[in-house]
Amino acid sequence: MARVREISSGRKPLKRAYVAMFLWFTGRAIQAAAKADNQVKSEFEALPENFTFSLGCLPDGPWMVVGKKNGVVKYLGGKLPEKQHVRLAIKNLDAGFLILSFQESTALATTRNRLVTDGEVPYALAVIRILDIVEVYLLPKIIASLAVKRYPKHWSVARKLKGRIAIYTRALLGL
Amino acid sequence: MLLPDYYEFCCRVKLIAGHDALEKIPELLAAKGARKPLIITDKGVAGAGLVDIVSRAAGKLDPNLVNDSVPPDSDLKVVHELAKLYQENACDALIAVGGGSVMDTAKGVNIVVSENATDLMAFSGVGALKRPLKPLVAVPTTAGTGSEVTQVAVIKDHDKHLKMAFGSYFLLPDIAILDSRMTLTMPPFITAMTGMDAMSHAVEACYCLQKNPLSDAHALAAVSLLYAYLPQAVNNPSDRDARLSMAIGACLAGMAFSNSMVGLVHNLGHATGSVCGVPHGLCMAILLPYGLEYNLHKREEAIAGLLLSMAGPHIYKETPEEQRAQKVISLIRKLNDDLHAKTGGRHARSLSEVKDRDGKPAVPREALPQIAQAALLDGASVYNPEETDYEDNLMVLEAAWEGKPLDRAKVKKG
Repeated sequence: MARVREISSGRKPLKRAYVAMFLWFTGRAIQAAAKADNQVKSEFEALPENFTFSLGCLPDGPWMVVGKKNGVVKYLGGKLPEKQHVRLAIKNLDAGFLILSFQESTALATTRNRLVTDGEVPYALAVIRILDIVEVYLLPKIIASLAVKRYPKHWSVARKLKGRIAIYTRALLGL
Repeated sequence: MLLPDYYEFCCRVKLIAGHDALEKIPELLAAKGARKPLIITDKGVAGAGLVDIVSRAAGKLDPNLVNDSVPPDSDLKVVHELAKLYQENACDALIAVGGGSVMDTAKGVNIVVSENATDLMAFSGVGALKRPLKPLVAVPTTAGTGSEVTQVAVIKDHDKHLKMAFGSYFLLPDIAILDSRMTLTMPPFITAMTGMDAMSHAVEACYCLQKNPLSDAHALAAVSLLYAYLPQAVNNPSDRDARLSMAIGACLAGMAFSNSMVGLVHNLGHATGSVCGVPHGLCMAILLPYGLEYNLHKREEAIAGLLLSMAGPHIYKETPEEQRAQKVISLIRKLNDDLHAKTGGRHARSLSEVKDRDGKPAVPREALPQIAQAALLDGASVYNPEETDYEDNLMVLEAAWEGKPLDRAKVKKG
């Protein structure tokens, strides 16, 4: 079969900047949530040592890479590693903007075939659960309800409040 | 009807259905430019004489190219052995005669021989295949899995205890042949549970997140055929029309669910099967009413719409709109009750009724937390309309174990 060059979409600097910024902050927030939220902590504990995953847009980013080393979860920046356990790839920048600006939920994006998941299914499901929890912490209820399938009404006020403060503080300071 | 803003639907399998459909095989192979097919099957299918029927109908097949080594679960080693057999004999097509494992194995062999690969696992996941494979003819011998029209295959590596999934439109067989002779000898108990497997595909296709007008059309037609003919095929196994209708119903359900995907019923069913070894079709039959109850608040209209396909226009019209979805659930429970009676109790209606080969309970209540946990590792949850977590899974499993309707007030609604 002839080799076909993949055509990149136009640069779209504003959308790219928004997506890059969102991924950067979400990566730091995941690192923070792994320390501040017990559910995220236990999800990561169940994942193998040196586990790495990424979320980003095809064909050339931006990307967010998060990994676990010696039991510690860290945001590893925006450069895709050679090997990773799970890659959640949004098919293009426009779709990435739709999803990450909460005009389309992750579940809806999956059903519309905008999100490609590479890697073992159990690991990918754990990553999706982690992302959902972090989104609930980062976003106001009205927006988070658009991003996740079911907003966790059953969480205590203390969990939401303490978690939000801890995650925002840690994410901003990069802790 | 819920019309999605965007959807995809693909099923490019040529279907041949009839009481003498197998006789078309030589013509169909010739049209593909194939003359030397490798026939893949398992010992159960071969022992039941079904390969002989295919062989007679298709013109004399070379007995050296009929291989029945497929185990009840697919196996990576067998895939590579069969690929070697294919290559050594310069075969040019594959015919899969059997159920889900045989179909999956044939799809695996097709990847290896078409890509000239040394390791099938290099092609695992979605999208690894980039070009059409060798001609594959699927001849299903059960009316249930629908794998003759699905684009996935699951192959087990028994040495590494790994289950690898393969997904690509190129895995769709080129031709599926539905012939009533292939299922005539299936005993009532197997007919009941494989039929309910097909029913679960059709019903879940109607409410899962990727549903669309085309998957709905296939699913509703499937529900109509399966609901009408399953009791008939169980009552009278030699009823050729009922057998053909079931085969077509299961195939339509396969087309529907491979495009709309499946949800909670399959999610919990896969986990119950892997933890307790319960046959897949039986899990589907037991869990189907619970999947409907759990998702009712999100998909009431779609579930209510099933009543027309199941009970016909008269009952649909007479049932008040707000009671239609509940009526569908009652009819599915009633179908399970009837199948339970007709199979001498072998068709279980609750998880506590499932027995192993020694007649002991196959699903102890203490296993439910393990099943609920295992379900978190299964991808079917992604396409379920309502979110599910460990507590939700356990709540549904407990109700299904007791055989009591789900307490819908306890469902956490998103």
